[in-house]
Amino acid sequence: MKRSELLEHLLEIFIDTLDNEEIKLSEETTANDIDEWDSLSHIMLIVAIEKHFKIRFTSKEIQSWKDVGEMLNCIEEK
Amino acid sequence: MILKLGDKFQEKFILANEIYQGFMEIFKDKNPLHTNHLFASDKGFKGKVMHGNILNGFLSFFIGEKLPTKNVIIHHQDIQFKNAIYLNDELFFNAEITGVYDSVNAIEFKYNFKNKESKIIAKGKFQIGLLK
Repeated sequence: MKRSELLEHLLEIFIDTLDNEEIKLSEETTANDIDEWDSLSHIMLIVAIEKHFKIRFTSKEIQSWKDVGEMLNCIEEK
Repeated sequence: MILKLGDKFQEKFILANEIYQGFMEIFKDKNPLHTNHLFASDKGFKGKVMHGNILNGFLSFFIGEKLPTKNVIIHHQDIQFKNAIYLNDELFFNAEITGVYDSVNAIEFKYNFKNKESKIIAKGKFQIGLLK
């Protein structure tokens, strides 16, 4: 899957999980850019992403992400 | 992890009068469907319909008291009501772990409540977090 397609999938997951159709996602997006992206919704996002792509992250991987781009890197590596 | 994919759990609850009365006393929902036999009968039910959200109390008890760890917090839950419940009904609760997410210490369950005729009363999903 191309990186742009991955980002599209990720956007759908964010919109669905955070229940906000207005969300815009780029490689540079961080939790500070999206009001609904708090610690609990972060867990819901991770679970939704793992389910959607049928992958599993480690807690170390998650803690290392600084933005959506690094999240995409990790998904690509799976 | 203490909880594993596919683990199953069962509990039996009785919708006793003290629960029904206690729920009404605390939450003040005295809608005639829950309090007036004739009103409920007129709507096609066989008697006063118990508050569906009493089931959420049973669910809370299961999560808080019956799992093999007390280090739990609810992240999310949903419930779909399928059939009415009545005073003194015996309810059989079934839950199964459908997802384990080690990266965020989260566990997902599906569950249902059945009556003694094995008819589904309510069903849904919930997700818990395991506290460190």
